[in-house]
Amino acid sequence: MSLLPQALERRWERRLERPFWRLVQLFVERIFRGGGDSDTEGLDVGIGLVLMLLAMPGGFVSVLLFDKYGSLLQWLRGLGNVDTLVIAFPDEYFFIVLSMTVTGAVAVWRWDAIFPDRRDYMNLAHLPVSARTIFLANLMAVLFLVALVAVDVNGASCVLFPMIASFSQGTLPFFVKFGMVHAAGVLLSSVFAFFAVFSLLGLMMAVLPPGALKRLSMYARGMVVVYLVGLLSTSFAIPELLGKAKTPPPVWTFFLPSCWFVSWCQMLRGRANPAMTELARLCVPGIFLIVLVAVGTYAIGYRRHFMRIAEISEGGTAAQGPRSWNLGALERYLLPTPFLRGCFRFAGKTLLRSESHRLVLTGVGGLALVLASQALMNAFQGASSWRQAALTPDALSIPFVATFLLVVGLRIVFEIPVEIRANWIFQLMLDPDGQQSEGLARRLILTAVLPWVVAVTFISYLLIEGAMIALLHTIVVLTWTVLLANILLTRFHKLPFTCTLPVFKQHSIVIVISFCFGYLLYAVSTPEFESSALLQPVRLLGLVPIALVAWYIPRYLGKNTIEIERKLVFEESAVRTVEGLRLSE
Amino acid sequence: MLEAVHLNKSYASLPAVQDLSFTLRPGQVLGCLGPNGSGKSTTVKMLTGLLEPSRGVVQFDGQNIQNDLASYRKRLGYVPEEAHLYPYLSGWEYLEMVGCLRGMNRAEMFAKIEALFELFSLRTARHASIGTYSKGMRQRVLLIAAIMHNPEILIFDEPLSGLDVTSALIFKNLVQALGRAGKLVFYCSHVLEVVEKVCTDVLILRKGAVIAHDSVANVGKILGSSLENTFLHLVDDTDTMRVADDIIGVMRAA
Repeated sequence: MSLLPQALERRWERRLERPFWRLVQLFVERIFRGGGDSDTEGLDVGIGLVLMLLAMPGGFVSVLLFDKYGSLLQWLRGLGNVDTLVIAFPDEYFFIVLSMTVTGAVAVWRWDAIFPDRRDYMNLAHLPVSARTIFLANLMAVLFLVALVAVDVNGASCVLFPMIASFSQGTLPFFVKFGMVHAAGVLLSSVFAFFAVFSLLGLMMAVLPPGALKRLSMYARGMVVVYLVGLLSTSFAIPELLGKAKTPPPVWTFFLPSCWFVSWCQMLRGRANPAMTELARLCVPGIFLIVLVAVGTYAIGYRRHFMRIAEISEGGTAAQGPRSWNLGALERYLLPTPFLRGCFRFAGKTLLRSESHRLVLTGVGGLALVLASQALMNAFQGASSWRQAALTPDALSIPFVATFLLVVGLRIVFEIPVEIRANWIFQLMLDPDGQQSEGLARRLILTAVLPWVVAVTFISYLLIEGAMIALLHTIVVLTWTVLLANILLTRFHKLPFTCTLPVFKQHSIVIVISFCFGYLLYAVSTPEFESSALLQPVRLLGLVPIALVAWYIPRYLGKNTIEIERKLVFEESAVRTVEGLRLSE
Repeated sequence: MLEAVHLNKSYASLPAVQDLSFTLRPGQVLGCLGPNGSGKSTTVKMLTGLLEPSRGVVQFDGQNIQNDLASYRKRLGYVPEEAHLYPYLSGWEYLEMVGCLRGMNRAEMFAKIEALFELFSLRTARHASIGTYSKGMRQRVLLIAAIMHNPEILIFDEPLSGLDVTSALIFKNLVQALGRAGKLVFYCSHVLEVVEKVCTDVLILRKGAVIAHDSVANVGKILGSSLENTFLHLVDDTDTMRVADDIIGVMRAA
C-alpha cells in the first residue's frame, strides 16, 4: 500500500520537471502566498492555516445544527414525523450562501494574485517559455485553486450536515441522496461565486486601461465585499420568502444566484414549488456562462495587460500632483505637535491608499451597512409612522452599530503593518519616550468616524423628531463613540501601521469575547435604554455614572503603566510565560 | 553575432529609440551609456525580445530574433534592472525553477547551482526565502540565473546595483572573462568607471539616438580625456558644479 503514494510522488516529481507543470506549481504558490508588486512576503499565514480557517465555518455551523435535527431532541420537543427535506431548506440555503460568501471572499482576497503580474513578466518573459504556456499554466493554477477552495470550504459540511440531517431518518440511502444533493449544491455555488469574481476582474482588465484598472479595482473589490456580506445576511429572510414565492418568480430572485442553487437542490429532492423549479433551470446554464465569460475575459485581459507590460512600464503614466490640505488654525488646534501633524498625515494617507487596509475597512463598513439596514427594516415593522419608527431601539441602534464596527475596525486596521521595512524612518527620527501615539490614534478614529455620523444622526433626527431629541441622541452617540475609542486605545503605544503583527497572547480569546459582550452593551442595551429615556430626558442622566466609569478606567490603567510600557514600540513581542525577577539589577 | 539594424521604438507616437544600429561580435563587451530617458532600457528590452521594434530588426546569426524567440532565449542570459523576485521562494527554489524552464538537465543544474551559490557567497542563505534577502543577495541570485545555462549572449542592465565591494569586483572580472571566453556581452550601466574598465566598446545614447559608438579607447581619445568627461561633453548639458552649489544654497536657506 505504501508503494502507491511513493509512485504518485515520483510521477509528480517527473511531471514537475516539465516547464508547464513547474509553472503551474509556481502560480499556485503565487496565488496563495504572494501577489501585487511588493517584494516582501507580506501577510503570509501559511497555506495550511488558511485552508483550516476556510473549512471551519461550515463545520461549526453543521455541528450547531445537531440540536435541530437530533431525533431524541425532536421527540422531547414533541415533534414527531417531521419532513427533514422541508425543515432542511433554510439550512441548505444558509450553507449555499456561506459557501458563496467564503469562496467569493477568497477570490477578492487573492484578486491581485489571480492574474500574472509584472513580477511574473520580469521573471518569465525572457525565458524560453511561450506566452501561451504561461497563460495556460496560470489558468490551470486558477482551476486548481477553485477546486481546492470549493472542496475545502464545503468539505466539512458535505459530511457533517447530511449525517446530522439524517439522524431522524436513520437510513443509508437517505443519507447518501441527501449528501450528494447537498454536496452538488454547495460545490457548484462555490465554483459560481469564484468565477463570478474572476469574471468581474477579467472584464475590467479587458475593458479598462492599466491606470484606470488600478484605481477602480479597489472600488470593485469593495462592492463585491459589500454584496457578499449582503448575500450572507439574506439567509435569515430569503428561505421563507422563496418558500412562498409564486410563478413567475419575483425579479429579485434572479439577482441572487443563491436562490437558483437552493431551488436546484429542492428540485432534485422533489420539494420545489413551481417558482423554485423555474429558478432551478438557471443553475447549470448560469455556471457554464460564468465560466465561459471568466475564461474569455481572462484571455482578453492577458493579451491586453500581461503581454504589454514592457510597453506599459516604459510609457509610464502621468500622475496627478499631490493635493495638500491646509486646514490652518483647525489643524494647529487638533494637531498641536510636529509628531501629531506628521504622523496624522502619514496614517491618514495609508488608510486612504493602502489596498489591504482599505479592503479590511470596506469589509467592516459593509457589515455595518448590512446590520444598519436590517435594524432599519426592523424599525419599520409594526411602526405606523416615521416618528414612531425613529424612536424604536432598532432605529436608535443604527449609529451605535455603525460607530462600534468602524471604531473597532479602525483599531484592528492599525495593527496591520504596511511595508514594515520602511518603518526605519520613524525608528530613526522619533524619540520613543513620551510620544502621543494614543492621542494620535484617537484623533484618527474620531476624525474618520464622528463628523459624518454626527451630521447624519443629528440632521435625520432633527427632521423627524425635532431639535431636542436630535441633540440628545447625537450627544449620547458622540459620547459613547469617544468613550469606546478611549477604551480600545488603552495602553496603545504604537504608531499605526508601523509595528509588526501582534502575536497570539493568552488573553486574545478574552479580548474577542469582550468585543462581543461590548457590542451587546454598546449597540443593543444603550439604544434600548435610550428609547424609553428620550421621551423623559431626565432619565438620560442615568447614563452619566456609566460614562464616568468608562472614562476613568482607561485613564487609571494608562497612569499605572510602568515606564517601559510607555515607550513607542515597533515590534510586537510574545508574552513570556515565566518572567525573571532580576533581583540583582 | 548580434545585430541591431535601424531599430526604432515609439510609445504612443513618442520616439524612445531612433535608428539605432550596432553589431556585437563574440568576445566583444559593449557598454551602453546614457542619461535617464535616453532609451537604454527600451534598447535592452528589444534585444531580449521583450519588446518588438516599431521599425528595424534585431538579428542573431543573421536571423530575426522575433521569428524564433524561444530558441533565441535559450541562448540568452539576462539580468534586469529591477530585482523583482518571488519573495516566498528560496534562492535555491528560484534557480531550480529557472533551470527547469530553460530545459536544463537536472543533475547538471543542481551541480551548477550548488557551485555558483558557493562562489557567490550565498551558500548559507540558499534555503532562506528571497523575501529575507538583501538587495545585493537578490542581485547575485539574478546573476546566477543569467549565467548558469552557459548562454552565448549576456545582457546586463545595471548588474552592480546593491552588490558589495567584493562581489562587484568578482563581477567586473567575470564580465571581462566572459568576453575573453567568446561570449557576446551587452552591458548597460550608469557607472562610467565600470564601463571604462570592463567594456571593450561603448555606445552612448542621447534622446533615443546614438551619439557615439566606438572602442572605449577611441572614444576617450577623441576628446583627450576620461570617459566621464567625454560622456558629460557629449550627453549632458547640465552644469553639474553649478547644480551642486545650488543644492548647498537650498540646504542653507532659512
